Amino acid sequence: MIVNIALACLALAITVAVYRVLKGPSWGDRIMAFDFLTVNLAVLVVVLAVRTEITVLLDVALLVSILGFLSTVALARYLLRGRVFK
Amino acid sequence: MKFVLSVIFALLPLAIAAEDVAVIRANWLTDLLMLIGSFFILAAGIGVLRFPDFYTRLHASTKLVTLGGLGIFIAAAVAFIPNAATERLLLIAAFFFLTGPLSGYMIARSGYLRGLPLYKEEGSADEWEAQGEGLEQFEKDNASSDD
Repeated sequence: MIVNIALACLALAITVAVYRVLKGPSWGDRIMAFDFLTVNLAVLVVVLAVRTEITVLLDVALLVSILGFLSTVALARYLLRGRVFK
Repeated sequence: MKFVLSVIFALLPLAIAAEDVAVIRANWLTDLLMLIGSFFILAAGIGVLRFPDFYTRLHASTKLVTLGGLGIFIAAAVAFIPNAATERLLLIAAFFFLTGPLSGYMIARSGYLRGLPLYKEEGSADEWEAQGEGLEQFEKDNASSDD
Protein backbone atom coordinates (compact mmCIF):
# COMPACT_ATOMS: atom_id res chain seq x y z
CA MET A 1 0.00 0.00 0.00
CA ILE A 2 2.70 2.47 1.06
CA VAL A 3 4.82 1.21 -1.82
CA ASN A 4 2.03 2.16 -4.24
CA ILE A 5 1.89 5.68 -2.75
CA ALA A 6 5.65 6.00 -3.25
CA LEU A 7 5.29 4.82 -6.86
CA ALA A 8 2.57 7.44 -7.47
CA CYS A 9 4.74 10.24 -6.05
CA LEU A 10 7.68 9.11 -8.20
CA ALA A 11 5.47 9.00 -11.29
CA LEU A 12 4.31 12.57 -10.66
CA ALA A 13 7.89 13.77 -10.12
CA ILE A 14 9.08 12.04 -13.33
CA THR A 15 6.19 13.62 -15.28
CA VAL A 16 7.23 17.07 -14.00
CA ALA A 17 10.85 16.35 -14.95
CA VAL A 18 9.87 15.36 -18.50
CA TYR A 19 7.78 18.53 -18.76
CA ARG A 20 10.79 20.62 -17.70
CA VAL A 21 13.09 18.84 -20.16
CA LEU A 22 10.72 19.52 -23.06
CA LYS A 23 9.53 23.01 -22.08
CA GLY A 24 12.32 24.46 -19.92
CA PRO A 25 12.95 28.13 -20.79
CA SER A 26 16.75 27.84 -20.76
CA TRP A 27 19.33 25.10 -21.22
CA GLY A 28 20.09 25.14 -17.49
CA ASP A 29 16.53 24.06 -16.78
CA ARG A 30 16.94 21.17 -19.18
CA ILE A 31 20.14 19.92 -17.54
CA MET A 32 18.62 20.33 -14.07
CA ALA A 33 15.50 18.41 -15.11
CA PHE A 34 17.62 15.67 -16.65
CA ASP A 35 19.53 15.28 -13.38
CA PHE A 36 16.23 15.19 -11.50
CA LEU A 37 14.92 12.56 -13.93
CA THR A 38 17.88 10.18 -13.54
CA VAL A 39 17.88 10.48 -9.74
CA ASN A 40 14.15 9.72 -9.71
CA LEU A 41 14.69 6.72 -11.98
CA ALA A 42 17.25 5.26 -9.56
CA VAL A 43 14.83 5.71 -6.63
CA LEU A 44 12.03 4.19 -8.77
CA VAL A 45 14.09 1.06 -9.45
CA VAL A 46 14.70 0.64 -5.69
CA VAL A 47 10.96 0.95 -4.97
CA LEU A 48 10.25 -1.60 -7.70
CA ALA A 49 12.80 -3.93 -6.07
CA VAL A 50 10.88 -3.66 -2.80
CA ARG A 51 7.57 -4.25 -4.56
CA THR A 52 8.53 -7.17 -6.79
CA GLU A 53 10.95 -8.66 -4.18
CA ILE A 54 13.77 -9.16 -6.69
CA THR A 55 17.13 -8.10 -5.23
CA VAL A 56 18.94 -8.05 -8.60
CA LEU A 57 17.25 -4.70 -9.30
CA LEU A 58 19.47 -3.04 -6.67
CA ASP A 59 22.47 -3.43 -9.01
CA VAL A 60 20.39 -1.78 -11.72
CA ALA A 61 19.72 1.16 -9.37
CA LEU A 62 23.44 1.61 -8.66
CA LEU A 63 24.22 1.54 -12.39
CA VAL A 64 21.49 4.06 -13.24
CA SER A 65 22.67 6.49 -10.57
CA ILE A 66 26.32 6.24 -11.73
CA LEU A 67 25.36 6.83 -15.39
CA GLY A 68 23.10 9.76 -14.48
CA PHE A 69 25.81 11.45 -12.42
CA LEU A 70 28.44 11.04 -15.14
CA SER A 71 26.17 12.36 -17.88
CA THR A 72 25.13 15.35 -15.75
CA VAL A 73 28.76 16.24 -15.04
CA ALA A 74 29.67 15.86 -18.72
CA LEU A 75 26.79 18.11 -19.85
CA ALA A 76 27.54 20.83 -17.28
CA ARG A 77 31.26 20.77 -18.07
CA TYR A 78 30.63 20.89 -21.82
CA LEU A 79 28.32 23.89 -21.54
CA LEU A 80 30.76 25.70 -19.24
CA ARG A 81 34.02 25.15 -21.12
CA GLY A 82 33.04 24.10 -24.63
CA ARG A 83 34.71 20.70 -24.28
CA VAL A 84 34.40 17.68 -22.00
CA PHE A 85 37.98 16.44 -21.96
CA LYS A 86 41.23 18.23 -22.57
CA MET B 1 12.14 -8.48 -33.18
CA LYS B 2 8.93 -9.70 -31.59
CA PHE B 3 10.28 -13.25 -31.48
CA VAL B 4 13.48 -12.14 -29.79
CA LEU B 5 11.52 -10.20 -27.19
CA SER B 6 9.25 -13.15 -26.48
CA VAL B 7 12.25 -15.44 -26.02
CA ILE B 8 13.86 -12.94 -23.63
CA PHE B 9 10.71 -12.64 -21.55
CA ALA B 10 10.29 -16.42 -21.49
CA LEU B 11 13.86 -16.90 -20.24
CA LEU B 12 13.72 -14.07 -17.67
CA PRO B 13 12.55 -16.22 -14.71
CA LEU B 14 15.48 -18.57 -15.29
CA ALA B 15 17.97 -15.72 -15.07
CA ILE B 16 16.79 -14.73 -11.63
CA ALA B 17 18.17 -17.25 -9.21
CA ALA B 18 16.09 -18.60 -6.36
CA GLU B 19 18.12 -16.84 -3.67
CA ASP B 20 17.64 -13.47 -5.35
CA VAL B 21 13.90 -13.43 -4.70
CA ALA B 22 13.30 -12.06 -1.25
CA VAL B 23 10.41 -12.48 1.12
CA ILE B 24 9.47 -9.16 2.66
CA ARG B 25 7.14 -8.93 5.61
CA ALA B 26 5.15 -5.86 6.50
CA ASN B 27 7.23 -3.58 8.67
CA TRP B 28 6.17 -0.33 10.28
CA LEU B 29 9.63 1.23 10.05
CA THR B 30 9.74 0.59 6.29
CA ASP B 31 6.30 2.11 5.85
CA LEU B 32 7.16 5.23 7.85
CA LEU B 33 10.50 5.87 6.10
CA MET B 34 9.04 5.25 2.67
CA LEU B 35 6.16 7.64 3.38
CA ILE B 36 8.61 10.37 4.47
CA GLY B 37 10.77 9.81 1.38
CA SER B 38 7.85 9.91 -1.03
CA PHE B 39 6.59 13.11 0.63
CA PHE B 40 9.95 14.80 0.03
CA ILE B 41 10.06 13.59 -3.59
CA LEU B 42 6.54 14.91 -4.21
CA ALA B 43 7.58 18.26 -2.70
CA ALA B 44 10.58 18.30 -5.05
CA GLY B 45 8.28 17.72 -8.01
CA ILE B 46 6.01 20.59 -6.98
CA GLY B 47 9.06 22.82 -6.52
CA VAL B 48 10.45 21.99 -9.95
CA LEU B 49 7.07 22.72 -11.49
CA ARG B 50 6.28 25.96 -9.66
CA PHE B 51 9.43 27.92 -8.78
CA PRO B 52 10.14 31.03 -10.88
CA ASP B 53 13.85 30.68 -11.55
CA PHE B 54 16.52 28.23 -12.68
CA TYR B 55 18.45 28.46 -9.40
CA THR B 56 15.43 28.00 -7.14
CA ARG B 57 14.29 25.00 -9.19
CA LEU B 58 17.80 23.55 -8.89
CA HIS B 59 17.69 24.09 -5.12
CA ALA B 60 14.36 22.25 -4.85
CA SER B 61 15.33 19.29 -7.01
CA THR B 62 18.84 18.69 -5.65
CA LYS B 63 18.30 18.97 -1.91
CA LEU B 64 14.85 17.47 -1.60
CA VAL B 65 15.58 14.50 -3.83
CA THR B 66 18.78 13.74 -1.91
CA LEU B 67 16.83 13.67 1.36
CA GLY B 68 13.84 11.75 -0.02
CA GLY B 69 16.00 9.22 -1.82
CA LEU B 70 17.97 8.65 1.37
CA GLY B 71 14.69 7.93 3.22
CA ILE B 72 13.53 5.46 0.58
CA PHE B 73 16.92 3.73 0.47
CA ILE B 74 17.00 3.26 4.24
CA ALA B 75 13.40 1.97 4.08
CA ALA B 76 14.41 -0.60 1.47
CA ALA B 77 17.50 -1.51 3.53
CA VAL B 78 15.26 -2.22 6.53
CA ALA B 79 12.93 -4.26 4.31
CA PHE B 80 15.79 -6.32 2.86
CA ILE B 81 17.49 -7.15 6.17
CA PRO B 82 16.76 -10.95 6.07
CA ASN B 83 18.17 -11.21 2.52
CA ALA B 84 21.67 -9.74 2.95
CA ALA B 85 21.01 -6.95 0.43
CA THR B 86 21.37 -4.18 2.99
CA GLU B 87 25.01 -3.37 2.28
CA ARG B 88 24.28 -2.81 -1.43
CA LEU B 89 21.52 -0.37 -0.50
CA LEU B 90 23.79 1.46 1.93
CA LEU B 91 26.37 1.71 -0.88
CA ILE B 92 23.76 3.28 -3.17
CA ALA B 93 22.72 5.68 -0.38
CA ALA B 94 26.32 6.76 0.23
CA PHE B 95 26.84 7.29 -3.50
CA PHE B 96 23.67 9.39 -3.64
CA PHE B 97 24.69 11.45 -0.66
CA LEU B 98 28.08 12.17 -2.23
CA THR B 99 27.08 12.87 -5.83
CA GLY B 100 23.77 14.70 -5.49
CA PRO B 101 25.13 18.01 -4.08
CA LEU B 102 28.19 17.74 -6.36
CA SER B 103 26.15 17.59 -9.57
CA GLY B 104 23.89 20.39 -8.31
CA TYR B 105 26.94 22.55 -7.61
CA MET B 106 28.37 21.93 -11.08
CA ILE B 107 25.07 22.79 -12.82
CA ALA B 108 24.62 25.98 -10.77
CA ARG B 109 28.23 27.08 -11.38
CA SER B 110 28.08 26.56 -15.15
CA GLY B 111 24.69 28.29 -15.32
CA TYR B 112 25.91 31.29 -13.33
CA LEU B 113 29.17 31.67 -15.22
CA ARG B 114 27.38 31.43 -18.58
CA GLY B 115 24.99 34.15 -17.46
CA LEU B 116 21.58 32.65 -16.88
CA PRO B 117 19.22 35.33 -15.51
CA LEU B 118 18.44 35.53 -11.80
CA TYR B 119 15.04 36.05 -10.26
CA LYS B 120 15.18 39.36 -8.38
CA GLU B 121 12.76 41.06 -6.07
CA GLU B 122 12.95 43.74 -3.37
CA GLY B 123 16.06 43.39 -1.22
CA SER B 124 17.75 40.53 -3.10
CA ALA B 125 21.50 40.74 -3.61
CA ASP B 126 24.06 38.95 -5.78
CA GLU B 127 27.08 38.44 -3.54
CA TRP B 128 29.15 36.62 -6.10
CA GLU B 129 28.84 39.45 -8.59
CA ALA B 130 29.73 41.97 -5.88
CA GLN B 131 33.02 40.15 -5.39
CA GLY B 132 33.79 40.50 -9.09
CA GLU B 133 34.04 36.79 -9.81
CA GLY B 134 32.16 36.59 -13.07
CA LEU B 135 32.99 34.93 -16.35
CA GLU B 136 36.01 37.14 -17.05
CA GLN B 137 37.76 36.02 -13.88
CA PHE B 138 36.95 32.41 -14.70
CA GLU B 139 38.34 32.68 -18.23
CA LYS B 140 41.49 34.39 -16.93
CA ASP B 141 42.04 31.63 -14.39
CA ASN B 142 41.24 28.97 -16.94
CA ALA B 143 43.55 30.26 -19.68
CA SER B 144 46.74 29.62 -17.73
CA SER B 145 45.87 26.19 -16.34
CA ASP B 146 45.86 23.06 -18.47
CA ASP B 147 42.84 21.57 -16.73
